[in-house]
Amino acid sequence: MADRRIGTREEWQAARDELAKLEAEQAERNQKIKEKRRALPWVRVEKEYEFDTEDGKKTLAELFDGRSQLLAYNIMFGPDYSGGACPGCTSLGDGLDGSLVHLNHRDVTLLCFSRAPIDRLGAYKQRMGWEFPYVSTYNTEFPFDFGLALTEEQAQHIPEIKQMVDNPPAWLVEWSHQIGAELKDGLREAPTWIAFARENGTVYHTYTVRAPDPFVAPYFNFLLDRTPKPQPDEPRSFRKDEYPD
Amino acid sequence: MGVMAEHRIATQQEWQAERDELLAQEKELTRRGDELARKRRELPWVPVEKDYRFETEDGTKTLAELFDGRSQLLVYHFMFGPPYDAGCPVCSSIADTLAPQVVHLKARDTTLLLASRAPLQRLLAFREQMGWGIDWVSTHGSDFNRDLGFLHTEEELKPFLAGEIPATVEQNARMCGTDAAGYVTEGPGLSVYVLSDGDGTVYRTYVTSARGLEPAMAYYGLLDRTPKGRDESASTPSWIRRHDEYEEIGRHNG
Repeated sequence: MADRRIGTREEWQAARDELAKLEAEQAERNQKIKEKRRALPWVRVEKEYEFDTEDGKKTLAELFDGRSQLLAYNIMFGPDYSGGACPGCTSLGDGLDGSLVHLNHRDVTLLCFSRAPIDRLGAYKQRMGWEFPYVSTYNTEFPFDFGLALTEEQAQHIPEIKQMVDNPPAWLVEWSHQIGAELKDGLREAPTWIAFARENGTVYHTYTVRAPDPFVAPYFNFLLDRTPKPQPDEPRSFRKDEYPD
Repeated sequence: MGVMAEHRIATQQEWQAERDELLAQEKELTRRGDELARKRRELPWVPVEKDYRFETEDGTKTLAELFDGRSQLLVYHFMFGPPYDAGCPVCSSIADTLAPQVVHLKARDTTLLLASRAPLQRLLAFREQMGWGIDWVSTHGSDFNRDLGFLHTEEELKPFLAGEIPATVEQNARMCGTDAAGYVTEGPGLSVYVLSDGDGTVYRTYVTSARGLEPAMAYYGLLDRTPKGRDESASTPSWIRRHDEYEEIGRHNG
């Protein structure tokens, strides 16, 4: 266990009060950023896309399912993944259903995208017991237009990816085994949150955020951030039905 | 439901320029968030000296026993007091998002559970109705919540109850089958403990409440990335319902 300092309740309270000021400042900063986020301009989506869904082909506008906002997480699960989706993205997915009904009643349709074909997404969704809609971007230009995936050629020209493919750290080698794909293919998918708005029949892209933003991490990280023991720098992720113990 | 706020339409290039500027600020927020997590870990640990007892599905347990073989314990103090006939709707929405995390936290040496003051049988019946896979213990008859500041006396509540009661409080109290006084006797919170591997001492390391609980409301984090945001105002009662109590509302036909 890391170095620990034992204190009295009074000492703890004094330190806690100091920390509370910093937490309040952080909340204030977060509030300002939220306002700026909402002030971003909207970009009209000109191209027509057609996705494979559990209910057949749908356009981007149809994915809104009658609501005016669409919030989607792009799970790393490319066509070459023979072992299933990225375990970290899967853990993030596990956290979404708890919010699903609440968001749906807040005019937000919440769903996940992946680039693998729909039948594989359906099987994986069933295995994980997920409720949220899972939409395939297979054979569409959508993931490339919105930065959710890289073409082989694009991936080869990104030094950080080339570096990871050529000299992968141990955890990444293990990850490659978990997804059942070579890193050169596995790393072409981008874990990303993306938001759209729909108004008067037109769809607008409003926001995109990618790792390493903490929002693009499993939801339990916020709880672990509040526990006393530090977490490993590169903790292994496992699918909930594959934990080694 | 509110109307979409005024917004500008822009080209991809214009959006990207503004997005990049915002990203720099988001990165700064992340950096400071990491720093806060480090500072939280620097808080001193306080030995828990009182011998609290909890009613659980497996009988009466001590705080040390609640760790269930792991070294870290997170307790979400769910507002469900003795006068309630159902759990607080907001705490219920929080439990919706906490329950699926239990399995992943276990793998990180951490036990997460719910604690409330109502008798255990009522907690378990409500849990079954809501379908949550998370342990729930009753602190009935113990000082556990009081010592953490999550149980308020009539005397303490007098000034609050003498003023104008917020509509959200009235609404939530009604949904719990109690009145405002009964409802706000309970306070929500998160408390965190570590079990020493040496002598089995339990230390309290972190406690938070009120705004500190916002990250536990996962849907707020999601709404914060949507174009409309939370779309709330201080004058309208909370929109949050238990997940099986939403009324079907009309969808926008944009």
